Amino acid sequence: MAFADLRTDYAGEKPRIFNLALVTGVFTVLTVGFYRFWMKTRMRRYYWSAIRPGGIPLEYVGTPTEKLLGFFTAVVFLAFYIGIVNLILMFFSFSLFEGTAPAYAVSVVGLTPMIFFAQYRARRYVLARTRWRGIRFGLEPGVAGFVWRSMLHWGLTVVTAGLYWPVKTYYLEKYRVDRTYYGDHRMHQGGSWKTLVKPMIHVYLALVTLVAVVAVTTVTEDPRYAPLGMLGMGWFVYGLAHWKAQSFKALTETKTLGDVRLRTAPRTGRIIGIYAGGWAAMFGIFVAASIVIGIVVAMIVAAVGSNLFADIEEGNLAAIPRFVPILFGLLIYFSYFVFWSVLKETFISLPMMKHFAEVTEIVNPDALRAVRQRARDEFAEAEGFADALPLGDAF
Amino acid sequence: MSDFDDHGPTSLPEPPPPPPEPEPPKPVEVFADYVDGMTAGVERVSIWSKPDAILLRFASGDELTWALDDLRALPDQADARGIVVKPGHDSLERLIVRDPGIAIHIRENAKRLGQRPPVTNIPRIAGWASGAVASVALIIFVLVPIMANQLATYLPPEGERALGDATFGQIRTALSSDASPVSLCEKPEGMAAITAIEKRLNAEVDLPYPVEIAVLDHELVNAFALPGGRIIVFRGLIDDAQNAEEVTAVIAHEIGHVANRDPTRDALRSAGSIGVLGLLFGDFAGGTVMLFLANQLVNAKYSQAAETGADAYAHDLLQRADIDPKWIGTFFERMVEEYGDAEGVMAHLSSHPQSRARIEAAATASGGRTYRNEVLTDAQWAALREVCGPRPASDDGNDKSPDDDAEEEGWEEPDTRRQDAPTGLSGDN
Repeated sequence: MAFADLRTDYAGEKPRIFNLALVTGVFTVLTVGFYRFWMKTRMRRYYWSAIRPGGIPLEYVGTPTEKLLGFFTAVVFLAFYIGIVNLILMFFSFSLFEGTAPAYAVSVVGLTPMIFFAQYRARRYVLARTRWRGIRFGLEPGVAGFVWRSMLHWGLTVVTAGLYWPVKTYYLEKYRVDRTYYGDHRMHQGGSWKTLVKPMIHVYLALVTLVAVVAVTTVTEDPRYAPLGMLGMGWFVYGLAHWKAQSFKALTETKTLGDVRLRTAPRTGRIIGIYAGGWAAMFGIFVAASIVIGIVVAMIVAAVGSNLFADIEEGNLAAIPRFVPILFGLLIYFSYFVFWSVLKETFISLPMMKHFAEVTEIVNPDALRAVRQRARDEFAEAEGFADALPLGDAF
Repeated sequence: MSDFDDHGPTSLPEPPPPPPEPEPPKPVEVFADYVDGMTAGVERVSIWSKPDAILLRFASGDELTWALDDLRALPDQADARGIVVKPGHDSLERLIVRDPGIAIHIRENAKRLGQRPPVTNIPRIAGWASGAVASVALIIFVLVPIMANQLATYLPPEGERALGDATFGQIRTALSSDASPVSLCEKPEGMAAITAIEKRLNAEVDLPYPVEIAVLDHELVNAFALPGGRIIVFRGLIDDAQNAEEVTAVIAHEIGHVANRDPTRDALRSAGSIGVLGLLFGDFAGGTVMLFLANQLVNAKYSQAAETGADAYAHDLLQRADIDPKWIGTFFERMVEEYGDAEGVMAHLSSHPQSRARIEAAATASGGRTYRNEVLTDAQWAALREVCGPRPASDDGNDKSPDDDAEEEGWEEPDTRRQDAPTGLSGDN
């Protein structure tokens, strides 16, 4: 009996992620950042459960307290490195080179292996805390191999000014996928780096065009060629979206779990649409909010009335309690950051995940029946290193 | 049979595509998906209500009874109308209910759905938390300052100079209200007055390298020293000073910082501690403000000691030059009158010791003897006050205390030559 492929439903909704992101974001600010472990946990639970291959939601079982513990662990180790090593680097940088740049450069290079270390460990933690159909995912220990491969491939990417990017992407993905388990079954990343060159083609061509336009404009000093630069920029943006869609497709369709495969069809146009619509929505909301705040401030000033203006004119600002403007400033400052991330989750992250989920299917799900549970990966340090180092909020 | 049991119907698109229409619990069979946490199969089970329990009936005829009190719901789920439950905190089994009717039934009858698992690792968290706090404190308050103090004395003067130049450029850009950095004031007559002050103080013997005093065209009432012997005085300070002795006293204080190599220590210490503090706050929204405040708090602890040290040096230097140390005090006295003293929370954040204490210290150092003073001639003092160019009377309106106005006798040429100032920038317009 042949089984139909498993389509993926997406249950996430904008209003709910907005509320969740807003509430957890406010708590995070109020707790000077310590609620972020709870925030991350709760956001992941929501995002994971929204993805439902075959109608069964993914489950995120990580806990906030293990993240907190992992963070403290990482601080104990990293504080020493960052404090003492940076100080010594700064000293030698000024003694020998009379400038800060060498110190920053050495410091960044010194931190790079730690960043890759943190990335792999964070991936291991997140996979170990992800379940689908009650079965755990997992990532085999292997961080050393990942670190030196990352150094090598990123080094080549920098040296080739980005030309190497698809190759790097393929090999680093392969390293991780080949060590990924679903239950007791190991995943495999097939294909080759060549399959990722084609998705990058528009980016390459757009860059060549841009370089050519700049070169021709500089040589001929004729500004009429400049509009072609706009064309090149547009092409470049299209190229990035195309890369996002097609590299995902190329990498996903060559992943296998035994006889189980994946099929996916993300659309470049949709990705551009999500970004364009998302940025437009965010921009619109920020403009509207600024207008509302402006009106409210005007009303307050009108209500408090003349003596405020008189005070300002006389330079007698002490009449206003000193904490009022400070509080107001802090409120605006933090609201800006909180709403920025909240709106980004709502209008970009969620629609993007929805699109990628909905176009992805599991082929030959029958073979999943052979999968058995794997043991829990205790992993005390969780993603502490990734949290302490500013890696952005990559999932 | 086993095919069907395992995950047949769920895999097929037809039978229960998410049923959006809420159907109340009916005596007809209602279904949910069950996973056992051992295999990746999904089984379709029918759900039956029993007193204090729900019954899961498998296609094979097997049954499972889950007590309502044991049921725990997964939190923060995207499908708000359905529910995912497990029979106890540690269970790997899951019942995925999409039927809103059953979901409502479970929500109304199971009383402990939201109960959280007990947090088991509190002692470990507390242990590592104290470890983290201790290691950060050890590094920021002990290791980094000790190393910064040691290394500061080994840094070659050229290195310090480079450090100071880099900072100087940043400060000029940061204070500027437009694109170009705040301009330097370099009227030769005014700079000659500065040189006269330097000569009079005659501090060279104490210094690792010669000082170089610059005046910045900015209304801040402030002065500071940079690594490598550079001392920056703001125009606002010269405007606010009542006489040349007050400016001299402030410069003596800054020379104290240079002699103690405080700026170099500060720079090295910040290099070590700001990264460590960055670790603590991570990259949560707006964490930069917290980072700034925390760094300010750490720095303040050290710089208050450094300020006291520089004051002590300045008292001594001024006495040697036959200038009354009280001028440090009079200057601060007026600052306190105008801006108030920092007390309470602000006192901890402030980089300077409380002004009252400094005024008293200056008065004590003065010690009742008489001094020659007379650092500058009247002509030199007038030249110093115009080191940034002639001062239009309108420029001084803002925060001038009334008694200062007495000195503003002759600003006969108001705004006309204003444009002659380098880059035409005046800092406060």
